[in-house]
Amino acid sequence: MRHAGLCLLLMTVVPLAILAGCPGPGKSEAPMIPPGSELTKGPAATGGETSGEETYTIGMSQCNLGEPWRVQMNADIEAAAGAHPELEVIFKDAQNRPDDQQAQVREFISQGVDLIIISPKEAVPLTKPVEEAMAANIPVIVLDRKIQGDNYTCFIGGDNVLIGREAGKHMVELLGGKGKIVELKGLETSTPAGERHQGFSEGIEGSEIEIIFSADCRWLEPNAQREMNSALSRFSQIDAVYAHNDPSAHGAYMAAKQEGKGREKAIKFIGIDALPHEGVKYVEEGILSATFQYPTGGKEAIEAALRILKGESVPKTIILGTRSFTPETVAQGGKEIPATAPAGE
Amino acid sequence: MSTEHDRGRPGRALRAAGRYRGLVALGVVLLLGAVVSPRNLKTGQSVFLTATNQSNVLFEYAEYGLLAVGMTLVILTAGIDLSVGSVLGFVATLFSYLLIARGWALPSAIAVGLLGGTACGLVSGILVSRLRLQPFVATLAMMVAARGAAKMVSGGIKIAHGARPWYAVQDAPPPIFEWMTMPAAGGWLRPVTVTFLVTILLMALVVRYTRFGRHLYAIGGNEEAARLSGVHVTRAKLLAYVLCGLTAAMAGICNACHMGYGDPEAGFTYELDAIAAVVIGGTSLMGGRGGVMLTLVGTLIIGYANKILSLIGWQEAQRLLAKGTIIVLAVVIQETRRHR
Repeated sequence: MRHAGLCLLLMTVVPLAILAGCPGPGKSEAPMIPPGSELTKGPAATGGETSGEETYTIGMSQCNLGEPWRVQMNADIEAAAGAHPELEVIFKDAQNRPDDQQAQVREFISQGVDLIIISPKEAVPLTKPVEEAMAANIPVIVLDRKIQGDNYTCFIGGDNVLIGREAGKHMVELLGGKGKIVELKGLETSTPAGERHQGFSEGIEGSEIEIIFSADCRWLEPNAQREMNSALSRFSQIDAVYAHNDPSAHGAYMAAKQEGKGREKAIKFIGIDALPHEGVKYVEEGILSATFQYPTGGKEAIEAALRILKGESVPKTIILGTRSFTPETVAQGGKEIPATAPAGE
Repeated sequence: MSTEHDRGRPGRALRAAGRYRGLVALGVVLLLGAVVSPRNLKTGQSVFLTATNQSNVLFEYAEYGLLAVGMTLVILTAGIDLSVGSVLGFVATLFSYLLIARGWALPSAIAVGLLGGTACGLVSGILVSRLRLQPFVATLAMMVAARGAAKMVSGGIKIAHGARPWYAVQDAPPPIFEWMTMPAAGGWLRPVTVTFLVTILLMALVVRYTRFGRHLYAIGGNEEAARLSGVHVTRAKLLAYVLCGLTAAMAGICNACHMGYGDPEAGFTYELDAIAAVVIGGTSLMGGRGGVMLTLVGTLIIGYANKILSLIGWQEAQRLLAKGTIIVLAVVIQETRRHR
């Protein structure tokens, strides 16, 4: 306990001391010494190995590292920041507790980081801490889920309606415009599941594709397996499965395979999310016919952060496109589908 | 007054009927399934009654059933084991890790997997029987710790073939995964289902015909009285938790085969379904009353209820309501016996 307290104290006091120490003399002595030399010396002393560039510290608060998609988000941020030696990113995991995440944002503020990236758990509890950061002149990039109001620097997120629509259009193409399909939904009451359903319905509109069975699988693969078993025992003809996430699509495939009649070879499976170790791998193995990436925005967040830190302006809202992975395109890293694509194509 | 009444002939008849109340409840659910189930469009046969569907239910609920078997032993002693879901997840990842990441031979991976789960049960058992911790608290701690162990073993990802470049198995899932989950040639029983049915039968025999089994009832009925009449309470309790860990480990191995990978999140909240299966079967949470075969009935009631709701394609809201109602009905049919 005492050690933890000491560590915390050091973690907050040391950066504060450095921050207080550097710009202070810099400001007062600026007229006497050549500008820039102080800036160069300061960061170098704190451990940056850059040649004459200023270093920045970014605080990243992730709401729950228990989800593979969020692990991927952190990995994307780390990879993008790795290409810029002047950036240092401090990662924190709130383990699905909004109060922990509030505390993390306030820790970043007192630590005096240069920029905060936050992927919030809940909108309401995190609105206030983000406002506090903005008041302390620390820019905030909000990733994936929004907060209330517009007191943040930049929001970056994916477009589930677009992704659902692309999946629907792909389904029409795959089945030649006609067929009986099963829809395995995510948690029905959650926004992403609602939007992925809505987009898909738009995508298959006008075709002769009929959803003969749909169930709420709460994003969970075991549930998807059970629901697919029911669909399989009820319908002798199923042409395809649209699942709101890749694990559910994989579960549906496993159910068809474990039925033991070889129907998994005839049924087409489409998933969403396209994580490297899940959806993309399943496409490579021939399990899925397609998966559509739900972008983490990690790379884009670092790009936006760099522009903000250099004093350039960024759009208030950045909506990302998607990327489709099919057996034909998976080897080349998928096919880009931009966010601005016209609905009719 | 009431004891005198029980000794009479009507009391005995009632008790005999009471013994089969679980089966009555199961029969009601089965009948419900046969009536409301959708029909096959070609043959007109009820989908619910097909052999395939029956085999699906047994297969899908084999893991819950295995957890519930071990749970029954613990609940008979008036204890509870909240850790079974986490132990399932831990063993699923440990087994997959050894088999896929480390490339171990199948028998040693199975042996170490089972040992891992048994060790968890042993720790819970020692905490409860020797250190006299409340079962709820001791197994709650184990529930948290075993989940941590699962995440540590897996490194936070699902352990599947080729998930990491250094894994020993890269190209395809281990053959055991498919073998355990595919219907045996010609028939409709899968090895996972057989594992569950054989285990439940063995445990039922152990509880019914061994001294250990009788001790479980004695401890659950009145621990102090059992101790005074020479029952080795500590040893019997310890063994109950150890066996519970063992069945959870078996469920973990089945889960890895079923899913095709070792998922550190596997078995999350399964302990609740296991406890529900035990209680719906008719085993008393107060201990000393119930049995392993009742748990089979309880597992089937839950399995059938879920299957009916899934087959008719109801949406989540109605489903949850119906599920709650079915559970209450099943328990009411069970409980009427006791209040008479």
